[in-house]
Amino acid sequence: MKVEGLTHVYSQGTPFQTTAIKNVSFELYKGQVAAVIGHTGSGKSTLIQHLNALIKPTEGRVLFKGRDINASKENMKAVRADVGLVFQYPEYQLFEETVYRDIAFGPKNQGLSEKEIDERVHRAAGFVGIEQRYLQVSPFELSGGQKRRAAIAGVIAMMPEVLILDEPMAGLDPAGREGIMANLMSYHEATGAALLIVTHSMDDAARYASRMIVMDHGTVALDGPTAEVFSHGEELTKMGLAVPTASLIADRLRQLGVPLEGSIYTLDLLEKEILRLRGGRENA
Amino acid sequence: MLKDITLGQYFPGDTPIHRLDPRTKILLVVFYIVALFNASGFLTYGIMAAALITAQALARIRPSALLKGMKPVIMIIVLTAVLNLFYTPGEVIFQFWILKITREGVKTAFFMVLRIMMLISCTFMLTYTTSPISLTDGLETLLSPLKRIGLPVHELAMMMSIALRFIPTLIEETEKIMSAQKARGAQFDTGGIIDKAKAMLPILVPLFISSFRRADELAVAMEARCYHGGQGRTRLRELRYAPGDFAAIGLGVGLVVLVIILSRMGL
Repeated sequence: MKVEGLTHVYSQGTPFQTTAIKNVSFELYKGQVAAVIGHTGSGKSTLIQHLNALIKPTEGRVLFKGRDINASKENMKAVRADVGLVFQYPEYQLFEETVYRDIAFGPKNQGLSEKEIDERVHRAAGFVGIEQRYLQVSPFELSGGQKRRAAIAGVIAMMPEVLILDEPMAGLDPAGREGIMANLMSYHEATGAALLIVTHSMDDAARYASRMIVMDHGTVALDGPTAEVFSHGEELTKMGLAVPTASLIADRLRQLGVPLEGSIYTLDLLEKEILRLRGGRENA
Repeated sequence: MLKDITLGQYFPGDTPIHRLDPRTKILLVVFYIVALFNASGFLTYGIMAAALITAQALARIRPSALLKGMKPVIMIIVLTAVLNLFYTPGEVIFQFWILKITREGVKTAFFMVLRIMMLISCTFMLTYTTSPISLTDGLETLLSPLKRIGLPVHELAMMMSIALRFIPTLIEETEKIMSAQKARGAQFDTGGIIDKAKAMLPILVPLFISSFRRADELAVAMEARCYHGGQGRTRLRELRYAPGDFAAIGLGVGLVVLVIILSRMGL
C-alpha cells in the first residue's frame, strides 16, 4: 500500500476551511505492523479514512497493490474488502440481532456463499476470542470489552490483507487492552496481514509495532523502525508526545550511573538489559 | 452532505436585531404573520416586503442565506403557484386545451408565492438572529401564563432546547456510523426502494441505541446537578425588555394596524 502526496482540506471554499492533512506520503509493506501516533488533531483519523476510500483526497493518491483506489467504483469496492478499517469505539456500530449475524454482515456484503460466510464468522470469532455460545446472543447483551471484540471480528471476517484500527484499546482496562492486542497479533501471525494501529499510547506502540509513523499537524514528522523513532526523544516531547515509560526509566537509571546499553523502549528490553548487567557483575 | 442542513441555524452577530429580546422577536414574527395574511394589494405587499428588507439589512443577513432556506419548500411554492394560476376563475387571458390562465389567477399566484416566501423569510430571520437557548427562553416566558391551565411550559421548552442541542450531535453520529458500515461493504445508494430501506437498518439501529444511551446519560447528569423541573428555578440570564424592544413592538403593532386599514380600504 502506498500513499503519495495526500492532502485533505475540509469544507473547502467556506470560512470553516481547514487542512487536516498535508502532503502525506508513506508506504506500508505486506505483513508489517505499524503504529500511527500523534496527538489529538494531528490528522490520524482523516488519514486512515483515506486508506479505504471512505473519503477522497483533495490532492494525491492512495495506491493499493499498484492501483489507485479512488480511480473507479470497482476499485473502491475492492479496496474496502482488502483493507479493513475498525473505527474508534467500534461497538457503537453493532446492529444485528445476534453476534453471529453482525459478524456475517461484512462477508455477506462481499457476496460470499453461505458456507464461506459461516466459516469466516467462526474463524473471526476465534481470532478475537469470542466463545461459540456467545454467537447466538444479542450483541447488546455483551460486556463492553466483548462488544469491542465482536465489532473487530466483524471487520476481521472480511479477511482483509491490511487491517487498520483507530484507537482499538481506548476506554478498556489494562487486561482488556492486552487481550485485544494479543488477538490482533494472532490474526497478523496467522494470515500475514499488515496491521496499522492508530494509538495515543507510546507504550503500546513500542511493544507491538515494528515501525512507527509519527504525525504532527497533518504531516508525517517521523517515520521509521520503532527503535529509531524513539531515539528522537526530544522531538517527540516537543510534539506533545510522551516517551514510553520504559525509556523514561532507562534514562533515569543512566543518570544514576547504571551503564545501560542500546535503545530501550519496552519493559522487556529493559528487563533483559538489567539482567545482562547483573549477570555480568556476578560473573566478574 | 448532511452538514448542509440550515434548519434552525444561528448566525452570531451584534446588530440591533440580534440585541432585541427574544420575546420581542417572537412577538414581531407573530405580528408580521398577522399583517402578512391581511395584505391584499400591491401597496400592502410592498410595505410588508420593505419591512422584511429593512430587518434583513439591519441584521446583516445575506439575502442568499434567506433564499437558501427556501430550498426545502420549493415544491410547495411551485405547487401553490400552479394551482392558483390555473384554478382561479375570472377573465381568461391565455387558453391551451383545458388549461386556462386568468388575469386574477396570475395575480393570486404572484401574491401567494410572495406570501409564502415572506412567511418563511421572517421565521428564518428569527432563527438566524436568535440563539436556540434564548429562543426557548423567550418562548418559555411568553407561554408561562399557560402554566395556570396546566400546560407544562418549562418542560416543553427544556425538551425543545435539548432537541435543538442534539441535532448536530446526531448528524455527526450518523456520518460516523455510515462510514463504519461502508467500511464493512454496506452500500446505501444502489438497488430499489426496498433495498435502500433495508440498507438503512445498519445505520438506524446503532443510532437509536446510542440516542437512548445518550438520553440516559443526560438524565443522570441533569439529576446529578439537582435538576428537578421548572419549579423555583432561577436563570443565568434574566430576560429584560430594553427601550429598543418597546420601540420594536410599537413598530410591529403599527405595521399590523397600517396594513389592516390599507387593505380594508381596498389598496
